[in-house]
Amino acid sequence: MLFNSVEYLIFLPLVFILYWIVAKFNNLKIQNGLVLIASYIFYGLWDWRFLFLILASTIVDYYVGIAIHKRQSQGDKGKLFLWLSILFNVSLLGFFKYYNFFVDAFVDLILLFGYPIKSTWTLNIILPVGISFYTFQTMSYSLDIYFKRIKPTHSFLDFATFVAFFPQLVAGPIERASNLLGQITNKRTFKYEQAVEGLKLILWGLFKKMVIADGIAPIVDDIFANYDSMPASSLLLGISFFSFQVYGDFSGYSDIAIGTAKLFGIELMSNFKFPNFSRNVAEYWQRWHISLSTWFRHYLYIPLGGSRVSRLKSIRNICIIFLVSGFWHGANWTFIFWGGFHALAYIPVFLMGRNTIYKNNVVAENTLFPSLKEIWQLFATFVIVTFSRIFFRSESLTDSFVFIKRLFTEFNWEPYHHPMGYRMVDYFVLLAVFVLYEFRMRRDERNPFKFKSPVVRFIAYTLVIFCILLFYDDGVDRSFIYFQF
Amino acid sequence: MIKLFLKVTLYLILIFLSLELLVRAFHLYPDDSPRFIDEMGVEKRIPNYRGYSVTGNRRQNFSEYHINNQGFNSYREFTPSYSKKELAIIGDSYIQGFHQNYYNSIGKKIEDRTKDLEVYEYGYAGWDLADQLHLLHAYSDDFDKIDHIVIYMKYPMDLGRAIYEPNTERIKLLNSTPFKIRDNIKLLYYASQIGFLDPIKNLLTGKQDTQQSDSNNNQGNAMDSLYIGNFDKLLETYPINKSKTSLLLDKRKTSVKFLEHCKKNGIDVIDFGSKFEESKKPVTLIYDMHWNNNGRTLVAESIIEHLGL
Repeated sequence: MLFNSVEYLIFLPLVFILYWIVAKFNNLKIQNGLVLIASYIFYGLWDWRFLFLILASTIVDYYVGIAIHKRQSQGDKGKLFLWLSILFNVSLLGFFKYYNFFVDAFVDLILLFGYPIKSTWTLNIILPVGISFYTFQTMSYSLDIYFKRIKPTHSFLDFATFVAFFPQLVAGPIERASNLLGQITNKRTFKYEQAVEGLKLILWGLFKKMVIADGIAPIVDDIFANYDSMPASSLLLGISFFSFQVYGDFSGYSDIAIGTAKLFGIELMSNFKFPNFSRNVAEYWQRWHISLSTWFRHYLYIPLGGSRVSRLKSIRNICIIFLVSGFWHGANWTFIFWGGFHALAYIPVFLMGRNTIYKNNVVAENTLFPSLKEIWQLFATFVIVTFSRIFFRSESLTDSFVFIKRLFTEFNWEPYHHPMGYRMVDYFVLLAVFVLYEFRMRRDERNPFKFKSPVVRFIAYTLVIFCILLFYDDGVDRSFIYFQF
Repeated sequence: MIKLFLKVTLYLILIFLSLELLVRAFHLYPDDSPRFIDEMGVEKRIPNYRGYSVTGNRRQNFSEYHINNQGFNSYREFTPSYSKKELAIIGDSYIQGFHQNYYNSIGKKIEDRTKDLEVYEYGYAGWDLADQLHLLHAYSDDFDKIDHIVIYMKYPMDLGRAIYEPNTERIKLLNSTPFKIRDNIKLLYYASQIGFLDPIKNLLTGKQDTQQSDSNNNQGNAMDSLYIGNFDKLLETYPINKSKTSLLLDKRKTSVKFLEHCKKNGIDVIDFGSKFEESKKPVTLIYDMHWNNNGRTLVAESIIEHLGL
């Protein structure tokens, strides 16, 4: 079930009403049971067959968590059980997401040594939606227990609800048990303000998805499908628009997820904090897909020594974290290159000691407009990040490099025409207004309609919905980009 | 919780009203010209109506139409007489031409390129050959006076039936309360036009895919005999004056068997497909398959050249 579907428009109010009716009985078990059933229905409507994977991951980590804790109370670290959890979850990912990639890589490697083999080992495997997200979430639970950050829950229902909580099940934010499980095990009470905040976030998320991402998707698809016959100007347009598309798509999803969770009295972590207003690549990674960056920092970068080791080892750690992060996105060399590119862009910032200087402030912190220096920094970061997305968006490495080559050689300028015949100027105006609006709200990603006057607020709601109607295209694939990861 | 529901309801009502105002202010909706079935059983538009046809979101195509006294979209009234030189073009939405300004239609292009010729465009969206031949028969007094008649035909879509029956159900449906509500609430009309309501409709009807494939219409030789049979039966019911009637079609998309059948029966065929193929510029609108300005010009030229006007 998609957040931007009619089914969800019916599903959400129904579950919301039932949820708060059930809350009146003061029985947390019934309330969590309802969320769990709703979550399984939500997921099962995609493909019920893969529900068993979620259930298996839930069962394994539930018992692993208890076992680790039990072992620790007996003086043992419980390492064996931790490895069981990691092995199980990584195996799930490995089989469903990476099996064919490794087979192909092996065949290519053998070929490199002059031994061509006809591979019959690849399988026709469907990637279960959200597998990269919920496996990371369940693993984080076992890891947190192992590192004694949390205690295991003894309620299977609560744990299953934590794993399958539908707003963030298929594309995050990847929650840590210390935040989400704690809320699930405690009584929730309906708060009007929280619900209103949730509705506002849902509306803003729908705008980002249906107007920004889906609006420009046909342009991006057209340019990437025909890049070998397009001039550099069109390729530049395509990759710049893709930057906005992927941001609108994923951050829109996250906003709807966070907004939906708020309706159920649950606060999820922020996943995006205006990455387009980052002043260097390090700041970008503090603002883009925060839940994944945090996951890797906590469970990979810091255990490897983080930046508290020698410079060389720190650089090694940075490379590892970015390459793994790239690989997490998909079983394709393009993603590994994308991760590697970001590592290369990050290392100079790290060596100059500028990787944390923008951690606690935003661009134009105390002013209305950014300084010239900041504008340059924003532009440079946007260019670097956008350039890296050529790898992210291309089907293969060959496509990426041909795209890049054409970008720097095919200088003949030709006006680009929308594949569906729409006026291109509409999209430029739309993106300009969007960027300015987001710049205005850059300090608070959770309050997209921050206006004192209720009239202005009402006008903003109306205009946002009006834009959804103006840019709606029934021919566009409405699924979210990050579902494929 | 009740406060939330009340406030959300209030906001939704106010937003709905505001959106209705915005859709009206920017004229995003098409002006629907009402339809009826006249005393001769011909389905057409209510005469003397002006409006704008709007396609797609953000007024992707915005054109003016003018329904004349005879109930057809045209820049002129139809006053056939033996003393004048006239040409009638009969067809569906392609001839009706709501996707173009009425003063830039195929007929107008023909008149601009010829001398002392009046072109009458009898176009109505959804018409097939049965409708078109019935029109010829119903208004035979008028068509007797017209010097040449061109019938636009899409093979095989226009040969789906062998008997004409007025589509009273459609007129009834369009006059039903839900449609009247939709027509009067411009926001709903606009949302319906751009496909925004399709997911709801599909959910209610249990439909999965709204896109129909044209390829389904062409089932090859096996179906040709059925379509040709329908064609013959229609001509039997509504005989045409072969000396002054031509079929306008795209030969590239028409069955060879049907073309041979026309030739054998002495039915004149005007092909615009070859001109379309030679054209370096696109001939159809990008967002739908109706002819664009270039396409209409080529169709007009095909008719002029073929008939030697």
